[in-house]
Amino acid sequence: MTQALLGALISLVAAGAPHAGMREGTPVFRSMGSLAFGPSGTLFIADTAAAAIVAVDTNDTKPGKAASTLKIAGLEKKIAGLLGAEPAQVQIEDMAVNPTSGNIYLTVTRGRGPEATPALVRIKGTDAVELVSLDKVHFSQVALPAAPAETTGRSNPRLESITDLAFQDGRLLVAGLSNEEFAATLRSIPFPFKDTSNPTSVEIYHGAHGRFETRAPIRTFVPFTIGKEAYVLAAYTCTPLVQFPISAIKPGAKIQGKTIAELGNRNRPLDIISYTKDGRVTLLMANSSRGVMKIVTDNIDKAEPITAPVADKKGLGYETLADWTGIEQLDKLDNKTAVVLRREEGGAVTLETRPLP
Amino acid sequence: MGSGRARVELSGLPQPDPTHLQVFAGDQRETPMAGQVRRDQGTLIFEPRFPLLPETRYTAVYDTLSAPYQLPPRAPMAATHVVQVYPSASTLPLNLLKFYVHFSAPMSRGDSYRHIRLRNPQGAPVELPFLELAEELWSPDLTRLTLLFDPGRIKRGVKPLEGIGGALEVGKRFTLELSDSWRDGHGSPLAAPFRKTFVVGVADRTPIEPWRWKLLAPRQGTREPLTLLFNEPLDHALALRLIQVDGTTGTSALDQEERRWRFTPEQPWQRRRYTVRASPLLEDLAGNNIGKTFDVDLTTHPAPFRNVPTLLRFTPR
Repeated sequence: MTQALLGALISLVAAGAPHAGMREGTPVFRSMGSLAFGPSGTLFIADTAAAAIVAVDTNDTKPGKAASTLKIAGLEKKIAGLLGAEPAQVQIEDMAVNPTSGNIYLTVTRGRGPEATPALVRIKGTDAVELVSLDKVHFSQVALPAAPAETTGRSNPRLESITDLAFQDGRLLVAGLSNEEFAATLRSIPFPFKDTSNPTSVEIYHGAHGRFETRAPIRTFVPFTIGKEAYVLAAYTCTPLVQFPISAIKPGAKIQGKTIAELGNRNRPLDIISYTKDGRVTLLMANSSRGVMKIVTDNIDKAEPITAPVADKKGLGYETLADWTGIEQLDKLDNKTAVVLRREEGGAVTLETRPLP
Repeated sequence: MGSGRARVELSGLPQPDPTHLQVFAGDQRETPMAGQVRRDQGTLIFEPRFPLLPETRYTAVYDTLSAPYQLPPRAPMAATHVVQVYPSASTLPLNLLKFYVHFSAPMSRGDSYRHIRLRNPQGAPVELPFLELAEELWSPDLTRLTLLFDPGRIKRGVKPLEGIGGALEVGKRFTLELSDSWRDGHGSPLAAPFRKTFVVGVADRTPIEPWRWKLLAPRQGTREPLTLLFNEPLDHALALRLIQVDGTTGTSALDQEERRWRFTPEQPWQRRRYTVRASPLLEDLAGNNIGKTFDVDLTTHPAPFRNVPTLLRFTPR
């Protein structure tokens, strides 16, 4: 009997010493959403439907060669072909670059109804995609708190979406949004996972608007160092940029963030990255209606908090990058190159690299 | 090809080579579908990694041979419809925080906001009234969508509210319109469009005040419902989930425009004191919590607030 493998498929063979707390097996996913890379090829995958985050050892730890230029038009068509579906049946959920190897990973969903199937895919070469097999890998997982126990026997309709993930200094930071109660949650979970259930969330009040404060949901965030202190810079749904120290994220804590920029109305932030160029720490933020903003953070340590309502924009200045249109996902390929997912006029998705501005 | 967990079989070739068989979805011939091919004597068998979909055309290609295939269409099902939209009241506050849309069957996700309009009294769509989240806030079974108003258009002192105004206007009649082009979980359109028309009342900037609720105690030895009458409508999902009777299992229900909560115990009420526990995460229609408004005025209230449940005690009659 001969065996052949059709459709590119890469297996993450469990090899070498796994990370502490991981076991070998095949993790079961009900959904795949936000992605983030941790140390030595560890990939964190949010499974919102199962209220869990799974850490997978990708074994993808060989340093990649210098970044090439990539441009893959019709990415969703290639993914659909691989998954045996029409492009309209495929949704790209998130993208992350393995900082060690430079390989680009994407979470996707095939199908839009209750039988939708999640998949993890990876860019192969310069114009193809391959399926990443999660059979027999090293993995560990952490459960997010479920709703209080049901006393009625009804199926529980509460779900917490994970809007963003990031790994910083041994901790996985998780921003969430519930489909019932309106409250921003941010969790800081030590990795390797130890206590694997119910990491407590913190409440963050962002003092953006003078007298009035709410616990609005965080849309996207990036870990960030100011001086020697590690911070989170979080972009909210009504575009203030708020900073607070990671050390303040403790179970049950209530944090008052410092709003350092007000980036304008009628806009939703989509994704944010940070990088250093010419010795200056810079942020790039993709938005729903204000394009991609470049924010140079000189003097961020001396930034005065915004405490009064602002007319439109205030605080750190930004430059809108005229030719970065339709950008929905951003990541760093290396210190000089960004990789983006760009939505074309007709709706098709192009993956491409661009020099960091 | 067969259906079910369909696989592709190719027989009749003199010396079939597994590496020559590829299966493609749709019209493209660029990316073959992931799966495994094995040879069983003279037959090649392709087992797809993902099950074949009824709405997709497939083509098996072996060198110059090709064979199209499509699964039989799904059996027609009763069309999915909108069962209810909460809040169910016909007057809603200016700073309304969310709608819940309940469907009779699972829906599809991914482009929901395209099918939702909020129309002003002139019938024109309101620009971006809702927070459009890529995640789309569905229940796990895809039968309920949570639609959040953009908080930037509700909070006081925020530019969107001051610049383009809130989404709603006091005293005016607005319509939430859900299009029948919205697809259910099988890809079929809704049975009919759905409209909920409501009048906008004044903003609610008062916390939930449980001391103004009325508790109607049930009779001992019966399974009569315990009743709470609220002084204002509460958030449908949260009131169902976050009000409980300590140590007692049963079923809770809301009616009278989410102003009345009733709890029917599994076992008859005993002659003892019971405690009703209301979570501090309860919300009214404007997102105000118990003892705390949606947006907190820091000049009069220090943040943060204590999160403690409210306890109401009663003894059955």
